[in-house]
This record gives sequence, structure tokens and C-alpha cells, in this order.
Amino acid sequence: MSVKEELPEPSNPLGIDGLEFVEYATSQAQAFGALLQNMGFAAVARHRSREVMLYRQGPMNLIVNAHEAKSSMPTLSAFALRVRDAAYAHQHALELGAWDMPTRASAMELNIPGIHGVADTLIYFVDRYRDFSIYDVDFVPLAGTDARPSALAGLHWFGIVQSILGDRTADWLDFYQNLFGFSILPRGQYFGVLPKGTLLESPCHKFYLQLIEPPPGSEDIRWEEGLVRIGLGAPDIPAAVKALRQRAIVFVDRGAVQPSEKGALTQPYLGGVTFELVHSHLQP
Amino acid sequence: MNLDHFGMDTITLAGPLEAKLAAVREARFTQIMLNATDIVGHPGGEAAAITAVKASGLRVTGFQVLRDFEGLEGRLHAYKVDVAKAMLEMCRALGSRVLLVCSSASPHASGDAERLVRDLRKLAMLAVPYDIRIAYEALSWGRHINEYPQAWEIVQRAERHNLGLALDSFHILATGTSLETLEELEPPKIFLVQLSDFLWQETRSPQDRMETARHSRVFPGEGVHSEKVIELARALDEMGYRGDYSFEVFNDDYRQLPLPVVCERARRSVKWITARVGRWSLPARRRA
Repeated sequence: MSVKEELPEPSNPLGIDGLEFVEYATSQAQAFGALLQNMGFAAVARHRSREVMLYRQGPMNLIVNAHEAKSSMPTLSAFALRVRDAAYAHQHALELGAWDMPTRASAMELNIPGIHGVADTLIYFVDRYRDFSIYDVDFVPLAGTDARPSALAGLHWFGIVQSILGDRTADWLDFYQNLFGFSILPRGQYFGVLPKGTLLESPCHKFYLQLIEPPPGSEDIRWEEGLVRIGLGAPDIPAAVKALRQRAIVFVDRGAVQPSEKGALTQPYLGGVTFELVHSHLQP
Repeated sequence: MNLDHFGMDTITLAGPLEAKLAAVREARFTQIMLNATDIVGHPGGEAAAITAVKASGLRVTGFQVLRDFEGLEGRLHAYKVDVAKAMLEMCRALGSRVLLVCSSASPHASGDAERLVRDLRKLAMLAVPYDIRIAYEALSWGRHINEYPQAWEIVQRAERHNLGLALDSFHILATGTSLETLEELEPPKIFLVQLSDFLWQETRSPQDRMETARHSRVFPGEGVHSEKVIELARALDEMGYRGDYSFEVFNDDYRQLPLPVVCERARRSVKWITARVGRWSLPARRRA
């Protein structure tokens, strides 16, 4: 590694380099696993001692955690950022006012540092993602499975959608800009079929966060802060929709949210979990 | 401006938390400022206090008070961050969206603006996930920040959406700070206004201010700085401040009077203010 690589860029102080994994918590791990398989993910490893499974599809790692899961509906409970130095990233975030994650809250027994994100979610920092991975120690590969299943229709991480309370956009902008170096995209620059809220781009330009305040006139709706869904990028949305439909995935096709070249949204599954497809220029 | 814009503060009243909440409600106030000692000193414990506050139906104006937070280093800083976290957690559990933070009076605190900005940014960041706003108040005996224009300078430099100002009329009166700088404040960055007065003209020393502030405040309309209190309220009203006004009245006498008597004085004070500020806010009547 060259000296230059050791020096964080000012715009990317933590050396963020994409998403390492996203984690869902659910007590319906098997049903959710079947859904993930329809979405193109394959189970590749099982945790040695906990009810935690690793799914993979192309460049994406997805963890399903049934250990002490509170809800049956699969709920996004964490995401992990690839960073240059996880210990540094963690310390840097704490010095700026992040909350350290509770002891032993980690899905795995690995020493992955993390901080509190929105609501009950966590944000992990992972620096072992090149030569060897964080899964090598605590996960047992499933026999007879391809450890590196290829992606369906070129699917890759595009982003994460976060719901926030009204008048909270500026607070969460402060959070993501100052802790991690995210930058806000100009209003009007949207991707996909759900053009709303505020889009933030990661300092590595590899994924996005979308912050959604409650829509006007929704005062009677119970709106909570949390991580709502993941967005999967694809170079050709109609092709991805076709491939997923063949695997029995159903897309919303009413009103403004119809599958198009820009994107598509799956119907809610297992009590409310959805996946969004987004036409993507990102190179996985 | 009406009664709904004003709240009482538990520090004005004697007795158990439930009695204070009931008295404030019976006086038809809709909000209350809570002090951490109300919660942790509750005989039924913290959970019982939180239940009582929620059951009262009163909106929580804010939660106080984090002291001597900014400008510290090393272990002192780490210790204060732990205190701040515990207060933020209580604040959240109570449903309060505002945490009051008084400027540091600690002899160990640096006055270096960069450090103050750094620490208040950190506090604001800690408050983001909990949806809490940090209201920074210039304490009139603050070691380095003791007048609201200085606090405003720090808040502006920090540039955090959930960091703003708390204005307390007592401290402004005690230091004789001009109200001219009010024009420079941005109304959305004023997170709380606390009103009170006192019964003598001057507080000459920081010690004198502290003694008066903690034992001898009175409700607006009862003290000797009525004109300046009204001038403050009018200025805030005219510049478009539409947030809460809380009566920050520490008074040893009121803490030995029946609660309805003290609440009635608070209600009279609301009438006294709204009669003056409300009337002033109306556009001048045109002659026929």
C-alpha cells in the first residue's frame, strides 16, 4: 500500500469505500431467506453459534439476524461501511458526537466497531474486505454452495432509504455530512421511481442515502424514523424486472410507481419489507 | 400570544412532581419546563416520574440543565460527555425536544472559541438521533460566555441545525446587556425564551447575580425591570419569534406557598405580558 493511500482525502476523512453489508432483523428468518433467494441472493454461510445467516449476490453481502429479533417483519437493523481503518473511523465518529453501539449488540461475535444510527439501527465500520473478510472467522460456509454467487441482472447496492420525522432533514444532513462526509445532491436530481426527499451521496461516490420526511397531509399516519428499504442498482431495469418476475417477485404497478426504465418497487412482503430497483450508473 | 405560548417551570413550585403537574394543569397552562431533579429525585424512581409527566397531558417545554459542559479537556471533558448523554436520554424519555445548556462557569473551562464550538457541535451531534435541540444560554456568571451576543456568536460558528439559543431575561437584565443585538438573531434559532424579573435594580458581581438568580426571581410584572422585560418580549414578538416562553422563576418564598397561589401569580403574569405585547403587536389603527 502506498503512502498516498494512507492519507485520508479531506472530502472522505474515513476513507469510506462502499457498503460492506446490510443487516436485517427478523424472527421469520426462513421465510425471509426464501424471499431473498427470489430476489437473487443465495445463502452462503451460517454463523457458528447464533441464528444469523449470510446471503450474497454479486458484490452484495446481506445478513439476516434472527438472534433476539423483536419483530417478525424483516427490518433493516444495520449497515456496514467499508473504511480505510475501522478503529480510526470509530474513534473519529465518537469524537464528533456519535453514540457508541451497545456492547454485544453486534450480530456477529466479531469485533466490528459501530455507532448508533437512526432509531435502533447501527452503523458498523469494516476495514477487512479486501484480502480476507470479516465472515471468515465466525461463519461456516454452507456445503455445496457457491461462495460467490453472481448477481442477477447486474444487481448491486445503490442505496438505503431512511424515513425521518418532519423538519428533520437538516438534522440528518448534519449527521451524515459531518460524521462521514456525505454530500447533498441538488434538489431535483433523483433516481428511480420514488422521486422525493433528499439524496445524499457517499464520499466514495458508490452509494446513496435517501432521507424521506412524511409527505404533506399525512398527519394521521404513524410515521417513525428508521431505515426503510434498500435500493438495488441495475444497468437495465426492464431486464432486471423481467428476471425477478420470473422468480415470482411482484412489482407495484399502480399510479406513479410503475416499473419503468428508471426503476421499480416490489410489493410489500412479510408484513412490509420492500425492495427498490434503481437504474444505476454505478460500477459495482 | 396567548396562554398556550407560556409555560411554568417546576423549579418555581414546592412539593412532589405530581402535585406540581396537577397545579400547573389546573391553572390551565399547557406546558411545563422540567428539571432533572424532578425526575431522578422522584420517590418512585425515574420511570414513575416519566409516567407522571406523560399522564399529565402537559407538553414538555424543555429539560434542564446541563452545566459546565463546553471548554473542557481530557477526563473532565469525557466525564461531562457522559453526563450529557445521560441527560439526553432522560430528555428523550420525557418527550422533551429541548435540552437547556448553560454556558460554563467552570474555572477549568477554556474560553477558546474553537474549543467551545467543537464541544457544542459534539453535543448537538449526540442530540441528533434523539430529535433534541440544544438551547445554549449565556449564564450571567458564565466564565467566558455571559451575555447572549457571545452565545449567538458561538452558535453561528458551530453551524448545527439543532443548536440554537436560549434567552433568559434574568441574565440579560443582570448584565445590563443591550437588546440591540436581538435584531441580529434569527428567530428559528431561538429555541427557548425564559422570562423572569427581580426586585432590586442592580446585581453588581457574578456572586450577587448567582444569589439573586437562584433565590429571588419573580414573575414578569412583579419586579422592578418591567419595562425592559416587556421591551424584550415585544422585540422577540416583532422579529417573528413564535416559540415558547417559560417562567424561569427561582424564588425561595414561592417554594413555601401553596401551589395554586404561585400558579395564580404566573397566570397574572401571562395576562400582564399579553396585554402589553399583544396590544403593541397590532397594527396602528387608521383614523377614519
